[in-house]
Parts: sequence; C-alpha cells; structure tokens
Amino acid sequence: MFFYVTKMKSYIWVQTADGLIQQVEEEVAMFCPMICREVLQMGMGSSKNYAVSLPQRVNPAILGIILDYCRFHQVSGRSNKERKSFDEKFVRLDTKKLCELTSAADSLQLRPLVDLTSRALARMIEGKTPEEIRETFNLPDDLTEEEKLEPLRNITDDPRIRLLNRLYARKRRELREREQIKNVEVEEEHGDERSVDDLLSFINGGNGDSKGVKGTKTKKKSRRRKDQPRGCSSINENGNHKKDSAVGTFSTKLELDDGDIDEELDPAMEEELDREVEDFARRLNCVWPERMQKILTSSQESRRLLPIPINGTGSLKRYTAKFLLLDMPKGTVLFRNLDDQQASLRHFVSTTPWRSEDLVASKSLRV
Amino acid sequence: MAHSFPEEVLEHVFSFVHTDKDRNSVSLVCKSWYEVERWSRRRIFIGNCYAASPGILIRRFPEVRSVEIKGKPHFADYNLVPEGWGGYVYPWIVAMARAYPWLEEIRLKRMVVSDEALELVSKSFKNFKVLAMSSCEGFTTDGLAAIASNCNCEFGGNEVKMVYFALSERNLRELDLQECDVDDQSGHWFCHFPDTFTSLVSLNIACIESDVSLPALERLVARCPNLRSLRLNRAVPLERLPNLLCRAPQLVEFGTGAYSAEIRADVFVSLTTAFSGCKYLKGLSGFWNVVPAYIPAVHTLCSGLTCLNLSYANIQTPDLGKLVSLCHNLQRLWVLDFIEDSGLDALAASCKDLRELRVFPSDPFGPEPNVSLTEQGLVSVSEGCPKLESVLYFCRQMSNAALTAIANNRPNLTRFRLCILEPRAPDYLTLEPLDVGFGAIVERCKDLRRLSLSGLLTDRVFQYIGTHGKKIEMLSIAFAGDSDLGLHHVLSGCESLKKLEIRDCPFGDKALLANAPKLETMRSLWMSSCQVSYGACKLLGQKMPRLNVEVIDERGPPTSRSESSFVEKLYIYRTVAGRRMDMPNFIWKIDEDAVFGLS
Repeated sequence: MFFYVTKMKSYIWVQTADGLIQQVEEEVAMFCPMICREVLQMGMGSSKNYAVSLPQRVNPAILGIILDYCRFHQVSGRSNKERKSFDEKFVRLDTKKLCELTSAADSLQLRPLVDLTSRALARMIEGKTPEEIRETFNLPDDLTEEEKLEPLRNITDDPRIRLLNRLYARKRRELREREQIKNVEVEEEHGDERSVDDLLSFINGGNGDSKGVKGTKTKKKSRRRKDQPRGCSSINENGNHKKDSAVGTFSTKLELDDGDIDEELDPAMEEELDREVEDFARRLNCVWPERMQKILTSSQESRRLLPIPINGTGSLKRYTAKFLLLDMPKGTVLFRNLDDQQASLRHFVSTTPWRSEDLVASKSLRV
Repeated sequence: MAHSFPEEVLEHVFSFVHTDKDRNSVSLVCKSWYEVERWSRRRIFIGNCYAASPGILIRRFPEVRSVEIKGKPHFADYNLVPEGWGGYVYPWIVAMARAYPWLEEIRLKRMVVSDEALELVSKSFKNFKVLAMSSCEGFTTDGLAAIASNCNCEFGGNEVKMVYFALSERNLRELDLQECDVDDQSGHWFCHFPDTFTSLVSLNIACIESDVSLPALERLVARCPNLRSLRLNRAVPLERLPNLLCRAPQLVEFGTGAYSAEIRADVFVSLTTAFSGCKYLKGLSGFWNVVPAYIPAVHTLCSGLTCLNLSYANIQTPDLGKLVSLCHNLQRLWVLDFIEDSGLDALAASCKDLRELRVFPSDPFGPEPNVSLTEQGLVSVSEGCPKLESVLYFCRQMSNAALTAIANNRPNLTRFRLCILEPRAPDYLTLEPLDVGFGAIVERCKDLRRLSLSGLLTDRVFQYIGTHGKKIEMLSIAFAGDSDLGLHHVLSGCESLKKLEIRDCPFGDKALLANAPKLETMRSLWMSSCQVSYGACKLLGQKMPRLNVEVIDERGPPTSRSESSFVEKLYIYRTVAGRRMDMPNFIWKIDEDAVFGLS
C-alpha cells in the first residue's frame, strides 16, 4: 500500500481595492514584504473577514502577475541564470502594464520586482525623443513653449523683471556715457547671475561686486602637444588694446520690446525689419565684387592669409593663384536677391527636424 | 498615467536613465516629469560655461553632486584665444559652495581657476571627492596647498545642519591636473597632505614643474591602499620609481617621471623587478627624456597594457617599434612621429585590439621632415586594426588614394582628425585638392562624430560633408574652402553639428546669415581670420537674442571701423544666461540695443 503524502498548501485571504476578496497561496504571497508584515504583525489574512487589505494600486489582474513573479522566485533552489532568464521574459509587457506593475510592486514593497520593472521602463525611455516618450507613456504635453526652453524665460515674462532689465540697460548706457566724458577705466566685473535684488541695488547705485580673477600671472608656457601645427601662422599678440572706454554708437535701434521675439510686431515694425534685411542683402551683393578686387590687389591681405613658403618650391605661387581665383561658379553672388535667401532659409527650416523653440526663433527672421 | 505613478517610483525609474541626453529628453516630456527629473538629477555637464549661469543651474537642479564645466573654446589650445578671454570658475564655486554643500565632484576643462577658487573648494564641500582639472590655468601651488591641507577632515556636529548626519568626513579621492598651466612656486604644497589622508585613488601631477618632496610622496603612496592611478611629474627621478612602485603594487595606471638615469645594472634590475610586480597595470605614460637602455624594464608589463601614452617620449624607431609590438592588448596609443611608418606597420601587425591612435609631430616647424612618417603608416593601421575608431594624425603628406583606402578599410571610424602640417597641401601624388579623399571618409564612415580637415580643400569637400556627415558633432576647419558656399553646405547639411570651429577660411556673411537659426541648435561657432563683416555680426546679434555674438578684436572697438570691415575673431554661442558680465576690453558683445564694449 502506498500513501501519497501531499503537502497541504495553506492560503491566506486578501482583498483588493475593488472589493474582491480571494485566497492566495500563503508561501507565495508572503514573498511580498507588505503582505508578510500584515500577516505576521497584524495577524490579518486568516479568514475572509480579516483579509489583508491590499494597497489601492494593486488590482486583481496585477496581483496575479505579481504572484507569478513571487511563485517563481520564492523557490530557493533556482540558479542565478534561471532567475535572470525568467526576469527577462517576465518584463516583456506593454508599457501600461509595466507601469501598473511597477507601481503595484512598490506599494507592496517588493524591491526586486520594482528594480526589475524600473529598469525595463528606463530602457523604454532611453534613446527616445520627448515626443516619443510622451506617446509611449500616454502623457500630456503640458509644458509651455517657454518652459521647454529654460526657466529664465519664465522669469523675464514677469513685467517687473522686464522693467528692471530696461532700467538696467539704460543705466549702463548712462554709465558708459559718463565714462566717456571722464575717460576713466572701468574695472572688470566678474559678476555672475544677478538676482532681482542685485539688479535693484545696482540700479540704485550699489557697487557691482567685482570678485574675480585678475588675469593669470603665469607667462604663457608653450602648450606642448595640441600646440602649434595648425598652420604656421602664429597669432601675433600685440597687447595694443586701447584701454579707452568703448565708443558706444547706437546703431539704428529697433524698438523691439525687450527683445522678446515672441511678441507680435506691429506692421510698421515688420516693414522696417523687412526693409533692413533687404537693404543689407543688397549691400552685401554689390559690395562683393568690390571685395574681390580688394583681395586680388592687396598683397598685405594675401600675406596674412597664406603661409610664407619655407621651401620655396613655387608652391606658394600655385596656392596663391588657386586661392585668389576663388574658383567660383558663374554668377558669383550666393543669393541674387532676398527672395533667394528667404527661400533657402525656408527650405532649410522645413527640411530639418526642428525643436519647437527653433521655430520660434525663425519666426523672427520672417520665414 | 502620471497620477497613479507616485513620484518616488518615477524617480526610481529615472535613476536608471543615465546619459545627459536621455535625462534632458525626460525633462521635456511633461510638467510632472520635469519636476521629478530636476530634483533627482545628480550629475550635470555644462559644455559652455556661458550658456547658463550658476544661478540657473542651482535654481533648476537643487540636488547636484557632480558638476562638469567647460570654458574656453577648443581653439584656445592653439593659442587663438587671447589671454583674459574669460572662463572664470570662481562665480560657479561661490554659488555652489552656498547651494551644494554635498557636492562631491568638480571637473573643469579650459577654465581659469584662481587660488581663491581652490581655497573655497577645499573648505566648502563636506563630502568632496574629486577635483579634476584639464587644461586649466590661473592657479598657483598655493591653491594646491589649500586643497591638500583640507582634503581630509572631519566635521563635528555643529557644522552639519542635519541631525542624523552626526559626523561626515571629507575624503578626497581624486586630484587630477591634466595639462594645467600652474604657476609653480615650489613643490612644498605636496607636504600639506595630512598624515591622516589615506583615501587617495587617483593623483595626476604630471604638469607640475617643480620638485615634489620625494619622502612625502613615498609616504603618501604607502598609506593609500586604494591608490589606482598615479601620474608623476618629470622631476621624480627614475631611481626612485622602484620604491614607489613596491609601495603600490595595486596600481592600474602609472605615469613615470623623467625616464633617464646613469646606466647602472642595479637600477635596471630594481626597476624591472618593480614593474613586474605591478600585476594590474593597464596604463603607462610619462617617459620624458628616455634613455633607451631602460626601456626593456617595462617589457614585462607590455602584454597587459591597454593604454600607452608616449606623447612626450623621445624613443626612436627600433626601440619604439619593439615596445609597441609587445603590447598585444593595446587599445589606445598616443605616440610621437618617431614611430614612423615602420613602427606603425608593427603596430598594425601586433595590436589587433587598437581602438585609438594619436600620432603627434616631434618637429612641427622644421622645414624638412625629420622622420619617415607618411600617410602609409595610417593606411597600414587602418588595414590591420579592425577596431580602430579614433584617429588623430599629424603628417606632412597625404593623398586622396590613401584617404579613400582608410575610409574603405575602417568605416567604423567615429573620430578622424588629420593634420597635414603644411596648410593647403594638396594630394602629393596628383596635386589635386583632397576633397575626394575626405569625401570618402564622410561617406563611408556613417558614425563619424568628430572630423578635422586639413590640406588643400575646395567647396566640394564641404558639399560632401553636408551631404553625408549627418552624425558629425564637431568639425574643425582651417585654411580651406573657396567661398561662402562651403560654410553654407556645412551649416545646412550637418544635422547633428554641435561645435564648429573655423580659422583662415574665406567664409563670410551670407552663409552665416542664411543659416542663422542653425546657430541656436549648436553649442558654439568659432570663426577667426575669416571674412565676416561687422555689419553681419550686428545683424545676427540683433535678430538672435538667444545667441551671444562676441567679436574679439584687439584692434579696438568694431564701431571704429566700417560696417563692412572684417572682424578678427568671432565666437557665437547659444545661451540662456544672457550677456556675460566678465568680458575683457577686447571683446564686444553684439546686442539688440548697442555694442557693449566694457562690462
């Protein structure tokens, strides 16, 4: 006679947030620290009335998946290889399920499963653009254009800050004009990011804090490796910079409101802009042949641009000729008119994958 | 999705997203992700210190532990950036000292670092571990003394605000001075490392000229059991190496001092023994003033080496070739052109795992070649080393045929920098421009990220680059091109372009203005000795408020010359920090209102 001794499986009662109460294998469920604690410390789970109340994030379907995980891993005899293989297959779920699983596992404090699913989610994020990530995870696109750029933009939207910036600019201009008159050297400021308070104090006459480095005391040692051989022309550093304050000529100032290009320009402004760009393009086009003349005749220019031949094999002549001829196609100018330029710009903008803020910038160029 | 996903869980997911690019993408997904991401970001890379400001950094990322900042443009290495340009780290240190008391790592490249800054670093960060400065300047050994003295100390309870951190210890792990320009007062700073300092993992003092106390060095090495990387300066004599090496047999990376001494058998023996005791050594460097007789002392190490930096070593051909051919597992080799074509043939035959090769010129200004290094060497290596992906090669002649061969052999190249010493040198065989050769490179090497051009080049090469160089992120151009069309091809075609640096090319206004929006998608553009007019700079500065257009002109303010006169140097970069406040008086920022000369 044979007796088959079967091990009695014990069960515990759990209740999911939807109200459903069910029995689950105790050994398996106890793999979850949260359930384990409820059973051992709180004495729950022994009967239907005292079912372990599972966290809200655990619904019956997800519970089933988690228990599958636990059922496999709570068996002690398995090799690392087996476990790894199981895990790899286990996380082949759709994104939504994976998220639910991560969330649920976290609420049950099942750390290994949280790590496993988190890594899987991270892999789904890697290499994707923000748009693709949004699609994958079904997330709203709720950052504003400005926020996508950088928080600083937000700050300059504050009218108080904009006023300060304007005042600041005016103050600087005044300062410089004053300097011109006095012909005093302005100490180099090495300030950094200015907070609103800093700006206010500056405008009110406070001293800009010039904590900074006075240039290096070291003599410029010749850098060894990456040094020279970018062509033999070494830059002649004549310390001739005039220490006079800069002459601040204020070129035709376009009354753009604080340079905020997001704002709509009124038609008169647009017209002026268009005119300026056109004018400039025209000037470029007619100046070009003049420039060519300059290059061809000015020997000084050519000496600056070309290296002095040391082996004198006549190579200089060859290079000079090639360079000066400027091997250019017929119709030298790049853009015959503004339309061409605009067209090429438009083409560029439309064929290159832009980020949203790039499009904003290009608006200002009237494309 | 977001509502059922608690923030801690989202943060946990993000902890497995590592690269800056991915984290940036994450932050742009939606509001809640932006918030979680910024609170959980621990490591920040700022490629251009003027693109942001300390305030912006701190406001957005409150819990940063590791910061990497770069300052001057790359062409500063070729002395094209005048002294006083900027790149001061002090404002960053001040702000971070206030906001990031738990900062652990500071990595800087091409920045100006003052002694004040170093002192502040040494005192401010309770858990400071890593100070790595590459190509920096502006500090003296006094600043280093401050770092050394404060590298290891304990903080009592009254210094720390949080109750549950009863005690914290600052234990410096890494001090790396890579090619820095240090004002050397004396080597005395080295003695400031306290005896309690035992946490050192990596020390690089190769750029320090003065003598460092050898007993202090030996004691330091002896008491730091975790020391993995030690790069000495030239002043450490060869005879002292055995003592040092026996105290640190666990070293993975070692840089010798001057590799010369009287030829004595006992020194040789002890050196050889010491080297063979370093069972884990993978990287070797240093080797100033090599006495060839001592080279065989390192032979036992060769088979384990993956990195060999001989860029200061005056080892000549037979010894050099022999040395290199013993390094079967070599992955990275930096060497002078003494290696010649024959040495490169040996390299190609023996080092099948080679990933990176840099060949520097020993005599760049000499009129005649002093070594027999030609394009052939590079072709051999490209044939023989299937994993080769990064090349920096200085030579005197090149041909389209060679470049095409290299391209066909190694389509897996990701970095290709060729520096033909003579500007505008044509294909030496056909006397044609090297357009076709470089064209082959960009066409075959689809993953090319970095490219430096040289030799005689017309607009055609730029057409190839614009058409095929879709993954190029950094492009360096010198003495090349015929017209604006060249620049236009690059700006309009290279979609991934981040850094563009140009010198002495006939590129001017049109290409720049026509492609102005492109500039906001790049980190920076450098143009010197080109043909960009002041007027164009003004227009660019007015129309593109998110770019800083800086004219560097030591002849005086650009307004004192005509609108059509060319500017000397131009540096354009995108920024969210607005105009910078620390420009010297030869840099003019073109703004919408006016030209700001002095700050």
